[in-house]
Amino acid sequence: MPEVIIPIGPQHPALKEPVNFRVIADGEKIIRLELDLSYNHRGIEKAAENRNFIRVLPLLERVCGICSHSHSTVFAKGIEEIMHLEIPPRAQYIRTIIAELERMHSHMLWLGVAAHEIGFNTLFMWTWRDREEVQDTLEEMSGNRVHYGMNEIGGVRCDLTPVQVDKALSRLPNLEERIEKYVDMVNNQKTMLLRFKGVGHMSKEEALKFGAVGPTARASGVDIDTRRDDPYLAYPEVPWNVVTDTNGDVYGRTRVRIGELFESIKIVRYCLENLPGGPIRVNNPPKIAPVGEILSRYEAPRGEVVHFIRTNGTDKVERVDIRTPTLANWTSVAMCLVNQNLADIPVIVAAIDPCLSCTSRIAVMNRNDRKAGVITMDELRKRDRTCRIKLDES
Amino acid sequence: MNQLISIDAVQEMMKGIGTAELVRYNRIRVAIAQEMTRKAVSLVMGPLGCDRLITMSTADNGDTFELIYHLTGPHQMVISLATGLPREKPETESMSDLLPAGIYERQIHDLFGIFFKGNPNMKRIILNEDWPADEFPLRKDWEKGPDTFYGGIKGEKI
Amino acid sequence: MIDPLLLIVYVIIFPGFVFLLAYALFFEFLDRKITARMQHRVGPPFFQPFADLIKMLGKEVIDPDGVDRQVFDAAPLVALAAVMTAFLYIPVVWTSPLAFQGDLVVVLYLLMLPTVALFLIGWLSRNIFSAIGGIRAVTQMFIYEVPFFLALLTPALMAGSWSISDIVVWQQEHLWFMFLQPIGFVVGLIGLQAKLERTPFDIPEAETEIVAGPWTELSGRRLALMHLTNDVSLVVGSSLIAALFLGGPVLPWTMSPVWLNWIAGFLLFLAKTLAVLLILSSIKVATGRIRIDQLNRIGWKYIASAALVQVALVLIIDYLGAAA
Repeated sequence: MPEVIIPIGPQHPALKEPVNFRVIADGEKIIRLELDLSYNHRGIEKAAENRNFIRVLPLLERVCGICSHSHSTVFAKGIEEIMHLEIPPRAQYIRTIIAELERMHSHMLWLGVAAHEIGFNTLFMWTWRDREEVQDTLEEMSGNRVHYGMNEIGGVRCDLTPVQVDKALSRLPNLEERIEKYVDMVNNQKTMLLRFKGVGHMSKEEALKFGAVGPTARASGVDIDTRRDDPYLAYPEVPWNVVTDTNGDVYGRTRVRIGELFESIKIVRYCLENLPGGPIRVNNPPKIAPVGEILSRYEAPRGEVVHFIRTNGTDKVERVDIRTPTLANWTSVAMCLVNQNLADIPVIVAAIDPCLSCTSRIAVMNRNDRKAGVITMDELRKRDRTCRIKLDES
Repeated sequence: MNQLISIDAVQEMMKGIGTAELVRYNRIRVAIAQEMTRKAVSLVMGPLGCDRLITMSTADNGDTFELIYHLTGPHQMVISLATGLPREKPETESMSDLLPAGIYERQIHDLFGIFFKGNPNMKRIILNEDWPADEFPLRKDWEKGPDTFYGGIKGEKI
Repeated sequence: MIDPLLLIVYVIIFPGFVFLLAYALFFEFLDRKITARMQHRVGPPFFQPFADLIKMLGKEVIDPDGVDRQVFDAAPLVALAAVMTAFLYIPVVWTSPLAFQGDLVVVLYLLMLPTVALFLIGWLSRNIFSAIGGIRAVTQMFIYEVPFFLALLTPALMAGSWSISDIVVWQQEHLWFMFLQPIGFVVGLIGLQAKLERTPFDIPEAETEIVAGPWTELSGRRLALMHLTNDVSLVVGSSLIAALFLGGPVLPWTMSPVWLNWIAGFLLFLAKTLAVLLILSSIKVATGRIRIDQLNRIGWKYIASAALVQVALVLIIDYLGAAA
């Protein structure tokens, strides 16, 4: 067959979110790729410049559904550092617990999606069933399955009761047992090995050259993890390991993510058992930030999230520049898809765990007519189910 | 993992190119002129031991645009190279042959209008294809035109 | 030959077309229910396949711009007619009244027509996804048809006849071919899974890669008929394997009232086809989809050579038997 342009996206069963790959293929081999990311752009960076710190946190949380806690935490900790605020240790631990639970549910979701992309629906159903346990825990703790809203400038919104802690701890052994089974499947199931091994290979030099981050880079042997390189929250006090692999293909990325699942369970268990007492937020945090600039980094489930925040002495940010992990990983996907089979596109794209909500953040909103993207205080109060919100609107 | 590089080492290396200051225990900010960008990046990626680009940030400072390259390496020190570009003619050289900066440069061009000379693929990436070519939404002085067509279906009020 | 009126009842109602359609829908329900329960889900209720069929028949038929409407209308009908005709030669209660020497070849030929119809639909759809899917369907057909035919050839060799009904009668007097030719049985099952385009061989219809392959542009009653063809092929394939390897609907002895044989035979038929379905569903649940180039490698290296080994074994046994 001569060269053919195959449109993958913006609507395609392999993609969970709209992106346009125009794949130029010769038969079943891919020659090159053209990328267009504009379909989910919502104007969040511009909208964030018009909101004070209390109102901007829910907005930034909604950059992405699955890494919602990542974005709000990285912003909150950046602002707190500019304001020179000391966060109570209990709040740090609670933030860490929610962060690791989010990582767990994201990786399990990814495992199911990767299995679905190769047509292995059984693993898809099983991982999503087990993911419900993590979602139940998150719902008990924060009131919602995604978009937890746990962060405030100065601490967390609500506390963990002993009952919640015990319930969460009781779910962990079962999860560990199920994840052992998935390790077994990934290492031994013949069709999974056939579809994952050798597919989308990226060497260590290529990973560094193309700027890959997160599990995509760690699977190629690049030893970067922001939780260890630029420590924040409670990670310096918790014993945990960085998971790397040398395979560099989709199989390696699967192993890295499953390894991180085990590490997350360890961290959650340690934090739940050693939760320090004390207040959960700073009393009367300042509403105005001094002039400053900070580069706040965080390890989201997909890689390194970076917020470059600049403040100007008012109660709003001057500029928040968001670099999401998926944006950094797109170049590596485009490069390692060349010379692969057409049938492997969904697997390779899924292997970087793409989150297009994070990647594109624009749309024009006419705020006079529509409330989209703005959640008012009353709506927030109505949605509160298990925790009390004590926030001032100035 | 190596030690964090000392501020003196960076200041020494950047003599003549820019001034370095330690803004955080693991971040050094170097203010450089736009012409020195390429030289500074090669210095940082070579002798200073950085091996990857974290991101490229931009900010609108009124009469200049500030463009900052954040780089890091196994020594875990972040080196931020900050250049200022004049507002009337924001142009600089593309770093896409030294760093994986291609995707960031396309995005910054869409949003701020900064042109990167030498980037082989300066197409729209993050704004939709119907967006007017000379409107850059993240500039501080950008206002949404009441009758301009920004994309979607013509005639549909959002 | 039997009474013409009885023949008409046999062909149209039982165990002909009406029974076949009902049984096909029942098979689809069972397949989906077993799959769902293995995946820790609930699964559809009993009448779901029937409801799906009625719904699809009532939907609007959408013709893409410039496609050949007549071929699009004709291809699903041809495919359905082919598989339904193939069922007539398969023994359901005792032996088939329409049996003749060579009906095994006719059945295999008729079972190939749906794939050709699918390729034609894919090629004429003016849609890149359908074209790729159609090409994959035909490539897959080339790869699995050789081992499948060889595996089904060996029972005919040993029984000394080209008629399915004769093979079934032969097994009544001797052992089932599942025990005599285990390699052939396994190759036959794998070939059947590939013929029916079920995981791990659902490459032409890979949902996450090429939307729906050749099925993309089918809608309304065309989709309903192709879907029904799929279900009927499942029944025909299972009963073919059940007849050739599991002994078919005959008891090892004959009983005195003739109709008692038929009832017992029918019950055996149900039991054996259900057993084959169980095996096929388990394979479907336990594996993921492989790529076409991997299928090429596995098909020719392992499956075709296994089938050849089986044929060689049968020829050797035959020769030794004749020499002795």
